[in-house]
Amino acid sequence: MTKKIFLSHLEHLLPMMRNAQWVEVVGRDAIYKEFLFKDFNQTFGFMSRVALQAEKMDHHPEWFNVYNKVQITLSTHECGGLSQRDITLATFIDQASVL
Amino acid sequence: PGGGESNRRERSSRLSALQEQLVWSLLGSGLSKELLIQAMGDLERERASAGAEKMDRADGESSEEGDMDNPPPIFHELERLPPEEAARQRAEVDQLLQEDPWHMAKMIKSYMQQHNLPQREVVESTGLNQSHLSQHLNKGTPMKNQKRAALYSWYVKKKAEINQQFTNASRGVVSGEESGDDVRKGRRNRFKWGPASQQILFQAYERQKNPSKEEREGLVEECNRAECLQRGVSPSQLAGLGSNLVTEVRVYNWFANRRKEEAFRHKLALDVPYSSQSAPSTGQTLTSSPSPVLKYNQSVVCESLGTVRSSSGEDQGGGGRLASPVQLEPSHTLLDTHHHKPASGGGSLPPVSTLTSLHGVSGSSAAPPGLIMASLPSVMSLGDSSLFIGLTSSQPQTVPVINNIGGGFTTLQPISFQQQLHTSPQQPITQQFQSHICPSSFMATMAQLPCHMYSKADLSSYTSSLLSQAMVIADSNSIGTLTNLTSVRQILTSDPEGHSDTPIEEESLHLQSTSPEPVSSGSLELYPQTHTSETHSSHLLSSPPGDIDPYMPTQMVSTAQ
Repeated sequence: MTKKIFLSHLEHLLPMMRNAQWVEVVGRDAIYKEFLFKDFNQTFGFMSRVALQAEKMDHHPEWFNVYNKVQITLSTHECGGLSQRDITLATFIDQASVL
Repeated sequence: PGGGESNRRERSSRLSALQEQLVWSLLGSGLSKELLIQAMGDLERERASAGAEKMDRADGESSEEGDMDNPPPIFHELERLPPEEAARQRAEVDQLLQEDPWHMAKMIKSYMQQHNLPQREVVESTGLNQSHLSQHLNKGTPMKNQKRAALYSWYVKKKAEINQQFTNASRGVVSGEESGDDVRKGRRNRFKWGPASQQILFQAYERQKNPSKEEREGLVEECNRAECLQRGVSPSQLAGLGSNLVTEVRVYNWFANRRKEEAFRHKLALDVPYSSQSAPSTGQTLTSSPSPVLKYNQSVVCESLGTVRSSSGEDQGGGGRLASPVQLEPSHTLLDTHHHKPASGGGSLPPVSTLTSLHGVSGSSAAPPGLIMASLPSVMSLGDSSLFIGLTSSQPQTVPVINNIGGGFTTLQPISFQQQLHTSPQQPITQQFQSHICPSSFMATMAQLPCHMYSKADLSSYTSSLLSQAMVIADSNSIGTLTNLTSVRQILTSDPEGHSDTPIEEESLHLQSTSPEPVSSGSLELYPQTHTSETHSSHLLSSPPGDIDPYMPTQMVSTAQ
């Protein structure tokens, strides 16, 4: 059972996320970020990478895509909030976005 | 964002940008090159044998996995010609799979009728179940894509074979193209008389029951010519007829059988006629004139329709009724090759095809029940549609041969119908008819277009400008009043905390959190669900005259070139 991130950890992690431009969602324990790419191909390539990783981790993002923009929200359903998986995936996503 | 990839672009030139991205993603996900290539090979093979997978949804068929069995089933059609031909055939099969299954079924069925091909051959070379195949071709019972692929493959291959046979014949070359047949059926398919030939023979039979050898040979010529014409080829290309080539021996046998049949009928007529029915005399008169014609019609019709007519007194009543079949045109009679072997009630075994062609020649009013062919569903086939019509009743009855070719819906003519009802009780024969009209349930196979419906959810909260909304809000302290969405503003690393005092406009995040559904934007559209379904159901009830495929469908003529 995934555990929510400890508050103390959160205090430590959140700024990190914020630095990376992940913002917290209001009213819900989740983080959000928008990505912008040059064109659809790049965008979808990015999404594919994220998708493959998500499958591997068995942890999937909520996302929306239109052409070259992707909006991603990460949260863990079973614990009702942020968990380590979200952080991990967020990190991966960031890496994938600059590839 | 959007890392530089100019360097990447130069690499693989034959891939589209997206393909590149995807491959790259796959490789980046830990997939090795070898594994990827191997997997691609496997998948490709699977796809090829599974036929047109993409048709699945469109068909509206019930759930279907990619392949039935994981290793693709054998088609029994492995023998292929050189690659280009194989590729061409496969391409054609794919194309056919896109077409409407029912239309395809009609086409294949009429092709089989035209060339007098037995279902058995199809079954043997495709592995399909014969009952299923028959139902699919005649009634439109749904067939899954993979099986249809097998069927169409056989069809395409057969067409090629036959065309080759015909063309080779014209050049005097005999092709040894019997690949499928060899192992299974010894050599060739069993010979079967075509309707055109039968017509010629019956006419000759009327003239003379015992033709001499020369006359028989003449008939051979005539029949073969007619068969070729039916298939739309020049009469001189006999090889294309294949196993259905008419020979002198066959003609001889045919006459012999007809003579025996007649003798047998005669014998039956002399038996105790216990049909307490109306005057046998009427029946007798019928024997004379209409019967020969009837006989012909009957035999042709009955062979094809498999209808049963028990010769009994009832028949005579339907003098007018009897007239109707007379109008039958041979070309229309072979609509359905259903053909049940009836159980004869009588003692000695009647000659070969008596059981099928006999019936009604009810001239034999006196006819005994002996002949009852039990439990034959009366199949009324209209050119392109099959209808099962019958009566459910426990009373033995006769089924008049009725063929409503030109029209659509075939029904039992009222007159005869009532007659049967009335006269039934006396008949010891019990005939069961299945009265079932082809359910339209299989109409469910009609194509259903995939409906892409994007519901505009929560649009109230969103405008098309949503996409350009920025995500804001760092912590709850900074929550301002939630207002309308504004333009993009991405909060950069500048400390959000600093802004905590300033009211920051709340964005859609609030809303977003509540609605996990896909955000609809201006770019999505509602796909209309309208889909004019083909009038498949109509084919059940009425076959539009234009649709009936006669024996020599004009459009077929050209195919046999």
